[in-house]
Amino acid sequence: MFRPRWSPKAEFGCVVLDREKVLVADALAREAGVLLGMKRGGVLTLAPDAALYERDLLREAGMLHEVAVALMRFSPMVAVCEEDTVLVEVSGSLRLFGGIVRICHQLRQIVEAIGVTARVAVAPTGQGAWMLCKRGKTRVLKMRSLERELDALPYMVVPEIRRFSDWFNGLGCRSLTDVRRLPRAGLKKRCGVDLLDSLDRAYGMTPEVFEWLELPPTFSARVELPDRVEHAEAILFSARRLVAQMCGWLSAQQLALTHATVTLEHERGRSAIEPTAIEIALAEPTWHEEHLVRLLKERLGRIELEAAVIAVRLSATKVQAADPPSEDLFPDPGGSSEDHNRLLELLVARLGAENVLKPAPTADHRPETANQWVSVQMPVTLESLPAELPRPTWLLDKPVRLMVKNHRPFYGSPLKLVSTAERIEGGWFDGDTATRDYYVAQADDKSCYWIFRERPSVTSDEVRWFLHGLFG
Amino acid sequence: MSALLKDVESIHPSLWRGAQLARSYGKTVDTGYAALSSELPGGGWPVGALVELLVQQPGVGEMRLLKPALEKVSRRPIALLQPPHVPNALAFSFLGLPLEKLMQVRATSTADALWSAEQILRAGSCGALIAWQHHIRAEALRRLHLAAQATETLLFLVRPLASAQDASPATLRLGVRAADEGIVIDVLKRRGPARTETLSIALQPSPILLSPYGRIRRHSPAKVVAGGVPSEVVA
Repeated sequence: MFRPRWSPKAEFGCVVLDREKVLVADALAREAGVLLGMKRGGVLTLAPDAALYERDLLREAGMLHEVAVALMRFSPMVAVCEEDTVLVEVSGSLRLFGGIVRICHQLRQIVEAIGVTARVAVAPTGQGAWMLCKRGKTRVLKMRSLERELDALPYMVVPEIRRFSDWFNGLGCRSLTDVRRLPRAGLKKRCGVDLLDSLDRAYGMTPEVFEWLELPPTFSARVELPDRVEHAEAILFSARRLVAQMCGWLSAQQLALTHATVTLEHERGRSAIEPTAIEIALAEPTWHEEHLVRLLKERLGRIELEAAVIAVRLSATKVQAADPPSEDLFPDPGGSSEDHNRLLELLVARLGAENVLKPAPTADHRPETANQWVSVQMPVTLESLPAELPRPTWLLDKPVRLMVKNHRPFYGSPLKLVSTAERIEGGWFDGDTATRDYYVAQADDKSCYWIFRERPSVTSDEVRWFLHGLFG
Repeated sequence: MSALLKDVESIHPSLWRGAQLARSYGKTVDTGYAALSSELPGGGWPVGALVELLVQQPGVGEMRLLKPALEKVSRRPIALLQPPHVPNALAFSFLGLPLEKLMQVRATSTADALWSAEQILRAGSCGALIAWQHHIRAEALRRLHLAAQATETLLFLVRPLASAQDASPATLRLGVRAADEGIVIDVLKRRGPARTETLSIALQPSPILLSPYGRIRRHSPAKVVAGGVPSEVVA
């Protein structure tokens, strides 16, 4: 919980203490000789450099809630149960996700993205699954095999029995099947109703009632980074954890994301620094984790951090109802327009909006003013263009001044004018007057150029030739 | 045995003799220039394969060469990746390509450009991708070629003529030079026999003849009758 699984390993081991006694110790600490139940002093003697953490029940509950929200992707029915267990009812989602094996696989990936370890058990009853996962991963689909698996479990997995463990031990009970063989009436009298109820629910003999998790109407989650982070790309792991949660939240509400904000909180040094905000706007609403993570990755790759980051917050700022998936028998071979929008988003995220362009020509006589390109994400209404206007395919950014040799413009070789002039005069209204005569000129190697001669003006009567375009 | 050898090419559709053009090439898009189409295996630009155009310089007529093919695939967007100069939107509309399908991607580094090309190919939503690159490594070319094979996108890579010397995994390589009335094409590599003589193609529309503007008015102005009244009315 203190060090997510994807974070780099602590150098000298890491120990979690509960009331001054060791609760968990990692492999490095165990190698140094740290044992469970050891006092703090013992740990400090054996592994003086190990990182010591105090157990934090609130953070544990928070982490469990995060996992539960992320698992909402599979089903809206998710319950947080006692003893750090999350219960997901997936019987309605089997077909959608392609079977229980795939669900388990994806579930494991999500849990890994969040950075914790989990044991996954599957059973026809919730209580049964809860008991099975106490002992390790098991996948049981039929009632009969569930009974067999449960019977073999030691009785200590049932929390209600633990109080009476000495008594059951004295009776010679070892597993649940021994407990179940005892007369029900006697058990009820000595141990109360709860024990029998719990067993009955596990074996599917009485219906189960769960408190399903309720979600807040807005999503905003924050995660503190295990270490201070200097490179934006290292934040991606933490961000993935948030994105996994958000996708769970979106799926459960059947919403699609159109706008989200990622806030990077900086270390408080001498002066507080405003958190860096990354806005993610989506042309095509989405609830897919993969796409969001890819977008975020490209955006984070472009960011220069001013100071070290200590926490990340992700908020869904704008959402809309999700469209049901298309059920076309034959999908478009060229990919749908959603695919294309997703591609544009990805390109914009990496290259920047100013580098992914679409044409937006304006009505102007000057070629460089008429030829405008804007970002693909800007709405543009295309004006109808003059149909029979011959123009070169490529325009130079800035017209190139041409040399004049023997009264002829020269570009590699003397240029020969091969067309009549097209006079363009405009721009007197915005202070950028152009008075030019455009010609098509041919060089010795037969390539054609679009050149213009600036008409002599009041200030100079020198004849100046410029190269402005190439015929692609 | 001799009977078998006579029509070796009938054994399998992807088998061809050195003196023939390859037949089953997958999908192709007609080039629009009959002289060129007849020289290409499958009778057109191959879809889902890397095609290299080695141009003498940008502006010899490469866009007009591709224009008929682009028109055919213009139902889907056409991406221009790292064009050498600013593409002129009016010229594209003059060539007959729909402007709303046009897209220009500029990348600051070669790595970004190759990444963009791969993403565009992988998304498969574009009808054609035309990329301009000066220096490109053989591994990158192979990767582009592989990415193209999984798609239904026309992929053209425009490179300088000097890189004709370097090896390339492209299935089709054409050298393009300017000439009177159009261009001449050297077929550098194709699935078929080597072609030594050049192919000259008259490009449409030619840049030279189109200057309807500023032409001298040749027809004489309407006759003016004395008094300004037509003669029939007078009579």
